[in-house]
Amino acid sequence: MTTPVMSLFGPSGSGKTSILSMIAGFIQPERGHIRIGEHVVFDSEKRVSVPCEGRGIGVVFQDHLLFPHMNVESNLRYGARRQRETQAIDFPRVCDVLDLKRLLHRYPRNLSGGERQRVAIGRALLSSPRLLIMDEPLASLDGELKSRVLSYLERIVHEWDLPTVFVSHGQGDVRRLANWVVVIENGQVVARGTPEDALTHSRPLGWRNSMGPVNLLRIEKAVRRDDYWAATVGQDEIHLPNVDDSTIAPTFVQFSPADVILSRRDVRGLSTRNHLHGTIRQVAELPDRIFVAIDVGQIVWSEVTNDAAVELALQPGNAVTCMIKTQSLHLVR
Amino acid sequence: MTAEEWSALLLSFRVGVVAVLASLPFAIGIGYGLARWPFPGRWLIQGVIDLPLVLPPVVTGFLLLALLGPKGPVGDFLESWFGIRVAFTWKGAAVASAVVSFPLMVRAIRGTFQEIDPRLELAARSLGASPWMAFLTVTLPLAFRGVVAGSVLAFGRSIGEFGATIMLAGDIPGETRTIPLAIYSLGHRVGGIEQTWRLVTLSIALAIGALILGELIEARRNKRVLS
Repeated sequence: MTTPVMSLFGPSGSGKTSILSMIAGFIQPERGHIRIGEHVVFDSEKRVSVPCEGRGIGVVFQDHLLFPHMNVESNLRYGARRQRETQAIDFPRVCDVLDLKRLLHRYPRNLSGGERQRVAIGRALLSSPRLLIMDEPLASLDGELKSRVLSYLERIVHEWDLPTVFVSHGQGDVRRLANWVVVIENGQVVARGTPEDALTHSRPLGWRNSMGPVNLLRIEKAVRRDDYWAATVGQDEIHLPNVDDSTIAPTFVQFSPADVILSRRDVRGLSTRNHLHGTIRQVAELPDRIFVAIDVGQIVWSEVTNDAAVELALQPGNAVTCMIKTQSLHLVR
Repeated sequence: MTAEEWSALLLSFRVGVVAVLASLPFAIGIGYGLARWPFPGRWLIQGVIDLPLVLPPVVTGFLLLALLGPKGPVGDFLESWFGIRVAFTWKGAAVASAVVSFPLMVRAIRGTFQEIDPRLELAARSLGASPWMAFLTVTLPLAFRGVVAGSVLAFGRSIGEFGATIMLAGDIPGETRTIPLAIYSLGHRVGGIEQTWRLVTLSIALAIGALILGELIEARRNKRVLS
């Protein structure tokens, strides 16, 4: 069974961070109950409220909150020192996985943003929590750094099999890291399910401040053909842009919904290399354009005009072919 | 230096150290409370603490005497139950110094607590520390600068205390005659001018010494943290 990694997803101000704070025990809900596995940490009816130090939850704060008067090693060992049971997660291994050995004697003020993030994650892990929660772990990072921290996170989730809840408003991050998504708006759960499902149902949610949905397909394995790389998505094969070496699996391919052409029939004689066959799952209408979600084994979003949607009768349940130029694909590692 | 001067110096030193050490835990507690908890009536507590800053020290001393004197409610209680006499002893000098310097200490300490992110304690608690441990291992070490600054200020104010001390403790040579009191009585004695100058110099040296000590403690700590 895979480790449960849940994402609280939604626009800013929707209450994601408040929910995390309640789980961690930093704020008290007015009513309800919070249970971690079999361990009830809050119940308003039974008047149970376990203080945060007794909950065994590792918290990674958005701004890290490293102790400025302690060096990295003391920060990392702060929680470990307070652990009575034998440690499930050991110090050398955490330093290894998160690449912290070089940093042990430095002070937080001399660390870069990415380094601080790793120390914060390591510190939370070393308290051997039964649940790890992270508030926007990727918000302050971008590009190369973000993708490095993402791969660190993937590693720790697999290495320690640690249930994780994280807050994010980046669809790409959610799709990559989470296997369960809860979509929140105005403090209400509006959708939940696998990333594919939840993000599809939550139509304009979270798009409000961005350009729309993001296409991020997981590639299980890439195979070298005569002069190109091929990967499997659902029942079809796609051509990948040229990559330099063979150590790319598993990786993701990202592309814009505007780069996806839809056809009701299979068209031959086109230069487009990638034809994905699927069924329309949902049609989301915005005032000026329409987004169509196609299930090809994973969800692919296509952006079309109102005319096209009417002419092709793009409705849920109809079979379509998605055509994407290889040049539109961006590899994400 | 004469025996009289030595006695004044040692007494001043003792009064200053005792006043600072005895009021420090209260100043830390109250400074933390004022910085972190917006409870109703906070202004009243702040006002009462700050009062000695604006009152003439003689008035403060008179009020303390009314409270702690042999016939005062607290003084009577202490004497009959514990046999402790405060008024007209060196303990009275220490109490007078502590009360007068307390607002300075609280202000310095409250200021540093206000600068420390309260969520650092939440971070410590999420790692298993009790609220008390989180305070001791995270917030208090971070407030070190303010605690040192407050202590130095309070010590300086203590060894300069005159008005409240003379009201509560009187001017008893060898018992309550601290440097400022000695300067006052020697300054008016015929032929006492040379001795007075020595005590004045000593007083300045003591004050500068306190400032330097404060700087050294902080510099040593900064070196440790920044290296």
